[in-house]
Amino acid sequence: MNNEAKLTKYVKAAGCAAKLGPGDLTEAIGGLSCTHENVLVGMDTSDDASVYYLDEERALVQTVDIITPVVDDPYVYGQIAAANSLSDVFAMGGEVATAMNIVGFDGCHQPRSVLKEILAGGQSKVQECGGIIIGGHTIEAPEMTYGMSVTGFVHPQKIYRNNTPRIGDVLILTKPLGMGILTTAIKADMLENSVVEKVASILATLNHKASQIMRKYDVSACTDVTGFGLLGHAYEMSFNRVTIAFEMKNIPILEEARALADMGIIPAGAYNNKSYLSAKVEAKVPHKDEIILYDAQTSGGLLMAVSQKDAPKLLQNLKDEGLGYSAIIAEILPLGNKPLLYM
Amino acid sequence: MKIDCSGLACPEPVLQTKKALETLPNDSVLEVVVNSMASKENVMRFAQNGGFDVRAQDLDEGKTLITIVKGFTCKTVVDAKDEPFLDKTLFLKSDKVGEGELGAKLIVGFLKSTLELPKLPHRIVCVNQAVLLTTADESAPIMEVLKALEAKGVEIYSCGVCLEFFGVTDKLKVGKIGNAFGTIEMLFGGEGTISL
Repeated sequence: MNNEAKLTKYVKAAGCAAKLGPGDLTEAIGGLSCTHENVLVGMDTSDDASVYYLDEERALVQTVDIITPVVDDPYVYGQIAAANSLSDVFAMGGEVATAMNIVGFDGCHQPRSVLKEILAGGQSKVQECGGIIIGGHTIEAPEMTYGMSVTGFVHPQKIYRNNTPRIGDVLILTKPLGMGILTTAIKADMLENSVVEKVASILATLNHKASQIMRKYDVSACTDVTGFGLLGHAYEMSFNRVTIAFEMKNIPILEEARALADMGIIPAGAYNNKSYLSAKVEAKVPHKDEIILYDAQTSGGLLMAVSQKDAPKLLQNLKDEGLGYSAIIAEILPLGNKPLLYM
Repeated sequence: MKIDCSGLACPEPVLQTKKALETLPNDSVLEVVVNSMASKENVMRFAQNGGFDVRAQDLDEGKTLITIVKGFTCKTVVDAKDEPFLDKTLFLKSDKVGEGELGAKLIVGFLKSTLELPKLPHRIVCVNQAVLLTTADESAPIMEVLKALEAKGVEIYSCGVCLEFFGVTDKLKVGKIGNAFGTIEMLFGGEGTISL
């Protein structure tokens, strides 16, 4: 990897760890509304993408996401930021059509060549899922940010929402947790290059394939795990109507993240998520990896609610297609004491 | 030692705490001031998982004082680079540094100062007249120093042949009796030898 640009050294927090906390956000946008007959998914749920009805066959999916650098290599940062931005379309079950770059470029610390590499990295990922980049906008910024506004299409009858899981379904997660911890460690130069490469390759993996596989099975809800951490996004999925029961031992966590968490290399975002969710979570037995469930993920995996009957087949299919970290991690139960439970 | 990590973003407070603990000798206390919940949790997590004794006390203005005791129990923390010892052997051939009365004083002073190092030599090997140090009277000033070194984990060996030569084998008060093969291994196997 080309780490000379030291992208992560000039930002306060890495990737989605830099995101505004869920509590702050709800307070800020809670009063906004966007009801219209053509809006199929808007701001009233916590979905990250919106869906606009066009005709019986097509609905427009729109989403936008930007992140600060999580790795020092500009090309790889571009790939990861793109994978992160495209992910919301895939979580909805859509296909990407076009994307526009959004760049806050830190011209004080970086030469123009870095910008070129970032954009090339982004383009490689848009091409990988069959989309095209049709423009963008760049401003000078004190801290580097990059991402995309993405437009895609989905069949109006086949939209995957994040808050409609059925009781009895199980949850499959397609990427391991710990990315906020690991990117914080990258920023501090604490990881060996081989680990950085492993983490970068997970972050740059598109959720496109996972989304296409998911559509072949009986899936009732889907979201991608990003800044609010596994439990934050699971809470949105529960919609306070069901209890999601996690089996700690089945949750994929990168070993390297465990070791760093033990050392106390945990971004503040994880603690923000935890304090926001503390009243929603019941722990059968306290677990030392608990904080990792709140770790803010950049370009995290898809979290899918699937019928128990289809779950083994879907899981096998994901693994066969190279998504080897995929695992069944939870079950949807009738609402109990709290909407989230881990044991 | 006290460090102020107020206003620093993760992972800086943990890294500064780690660095400070590495430089401190055993049996010392490190105080870390932080002013965010994340920093407090992270520093305490680091210290607890490292096996240190740790306490937190909330101060005014959202600050927290974390007190970490670096004692003997903290051996679990350490990977190779946090080892409290230098991979060095101190090779003593005489009970003096140089000649005469001054030489006798100097060796006590030298070893006493060694005690203050953040990292101690792993081993001390005594041959020839140096075995008179490990077999000195209980009241001799050198005895206190050698025992303190041993208590900190420094391995002290006295040459068996030399002890016998001087007829003091039964007077050995600190460390173990070494043999020629072990001595050679220590001199050539480690990173370095310092001879006085």
